[in-house]
Amino acid sequence: MSSTATTVHRRQFLKSGALAAAPMIVPSSVLGRQAGAVPPSDRIVLGAIGIGSRGAYDLQAFLHQKDVQFVAVCDVREQRREVVKSTADKHYGNRDCAMYSDHFELLARGDIDAVLIATGDRWHALLSIHAAQNGKDVYCEKPCSITIAESQALADAFRRYGRIYQAGTQRRNGGNFVLAVELARSGRLGKLRTLHAQTVQAKSMPPIPSHDWLPAEPEPSKLVVDWDRWLGPCPWRPYNHFYVQGRWRNYFDFHGGSILEWGSHTADLCQWANDADHTQPVEYSPEGDNRGPFAVHCRYANGVMMVLRDSGWLELGSCSVRFEGDDGWVETGDTSKMESSENLREFLHPPSDYRVALENHVRDFLDCVKSRSQPRANAQAAANTHIACHAAYIAFQLGRKLTWDPLKAEFVGDQEANRMRSRAMREPWRI
Amino acid sequence: MQTSQPIIARAPQAPAQQPPPPRAKPAPERPPEVPPEFKAEPLLGSPPARLIEILKDPQATVFQKAKACQRLAVIAGKDAVPALAALLGDPQLAHYARFGLEPIPDPSADDALREALKKLKGNLLVGVINSLGQRRDHKAVDALTKLLDSTDPAVAQAAAAALGRISGLRAAKILEDALRRTKPPVRTAVAAAGLVCAEGLIAEGRRDRALALYQSLMRPNIPQPVRLAAMHSAFAAETSLRRPR
Repeated sequence: MSSTATTVHRRQFLKSGALAAAPMIVPSSVLGRQAGAVPPSDRIVLGAIGIGSRGAYDLQAFLHQKDVQFVAVCDVREQRREVVKSTADKHYGNRDCAMYSDHFELLARGDIDAVLIATGDRWHALLSIHAAQNGKDVYCEKPCSITIAESQALADAFRRYGRIYQAGTQRRNGGNFVLAVELARSGRLGKLRTLHAQTVQAKSMPPIPSHDWLPAEPEPSKLVVDWDRWLGPCPWRPYNHFYVQGRWRNYFDFHGGSILEWGSHTADLCQWANDADHTQPVEYSPEGDNRGPFAVHCRYANGVMMVLRDSGWLELGSCSVRFEGDDGWVETGDTSKMESSENLREFLHPPSDYRVALENHVRDFLDCVKSRSQPRANAQAAANTHIACHAAYIAFQLGRKLTWDPLKAEFVGDQEANRMRSRAMREPWRI
Repeated sequence: MQTSQPIIARAPQAPAQQPPPPRAKPAPERPPEVPPEFKAEPLLGSPPARLIEILKDPQATVFQKAKACQRLAVIAGKDAVPALAALLGDPQLAHYARFGLEPIPDPSADDALREALKKLKGNLLVGVINSLGQRRDHKAVDALTKLLDSTDPAVAQAAAAALGRISGLRAAKILEDALRRTKPPVRTAVAAAGLVCAEGLIAEGRRDRALALYQSLMRPNIPQPVRLAAMHSAFAAETSLRRPR
């Protein structure tokens, strides 16, 4: 092939008419004529980066969608690459799923439209930004960032490059949560006063993670686990298999603690209920200690209070939220059961299968990839939720009330807090 | 209680077999014990002067120095800058040193990072360039401009990204010139930096200059994602309610 040859992409080829002229037999499945099949031009070609247990769950939801064609996995762990390839190949009855250990190689593929990212919090924002810079749409697990600066850079990148982003905050498409938000936004609760967002209980996941290191172990071969790439932008520390087996949570360098872990879902629903997807609370007052119980009271400029707290819930399941207004209240959680004040009971519906939320959320993303409209957990909304959670986390670490200026994106009169808005990334990485 | 008659007589059945016992789910592995030398608590409560002493102490471990740098990131003043800067050439601690230096508001941190540009190579140099970009150090523009022509593409790409973040009229001109003379992969980084630089210009009220920069990013030799982003951004600027009318 000459060096000046032009690359012809699959879709251009199909549109060019060459197909009609060529004397060959094309299976009907390729043209999408089989019952339920989707023609290639309507399929979304998907790759995935960093697929552990949660990522595998997300991937199943994507594989259930007929218009998704999953073609490649990238992981720094050989075992995970093999598992995901095996899943994909079994699903499609072929051996086509490509494997990569360098995400730039996957992102350079012109045939891939979108990527699923589920690495671990340390990589989420940076990989999402790299994907946007390479013209990909992104579905990314939460928490979506390690710092306020990463959250802003994430929103900036997706606005700048015009790509579609959906945070893995699937409760934005879960029936019970959506109904609770609707009750708040439609005025059924009266004037909103207090929004409660559940965090993980401090006794199982403290709000401030550990700064300790686990004992050093011999590093495996780079082909088995590329430890340097696993760490990515995080500070170096000696290898221990425990981190790599999905047990990286509760370490400061890799994780935002219990506030980010569930707050990325529950504060997110509060933001939405308060019609505050474009902004963040302006005051953060922490109480309690790292052993729990604890809370951070976050006041919005419109006077509404959001309370991130780890205890005192009605036991309606994990990731509960409770919205209170002058005329009533509603509370719900992952059991999808709902409780409310008497006057709102007529609006509640019976519990449904919570797994539908993920399928709906993935579908919302795929539809927006096609329509180029914004999904429910878009980059701007996700960034603002994460900034609110990081601000609460910083207030809790400092143990004092902080005032936040959402326009300047800085704490007012608190240099220590402002210095915690970002962290230098390990070379060569940057945002 | 009355038992209802079965509609269909039951066939004689083999003795019921006991279902196999449920397979026990393996208990999750307990986290390994943290060795005393990797416990951070005693260090994190230390005052800045003690943390600076640790950085200077040749007997202090990598862990102790690493945690000292991370704590100094939040509480250090200018007196910590020399001790942090001294670690910028240490392959194991250079990142920790930048972790400490990058958020220090005092301009001596910029001076130290700029000074390090002259001494470092490879990844460590890339890290320092990244930190200068993060701090938007305008005084680094000349040095970064020279590094755009580095034979190490990673260094040249980092310099481009830093110039984009620093933004301003000078950086815009330098990036436009670099667009003409660089080749991929450096040109790709220069183009991406141009987008960031143009946003900085708009924020400064230099809309016309930003639009001109966007035009230069729409040329056919620019990677498609950047080209599309430039078109998209120019369109947004031209249709903004804040545009001059």
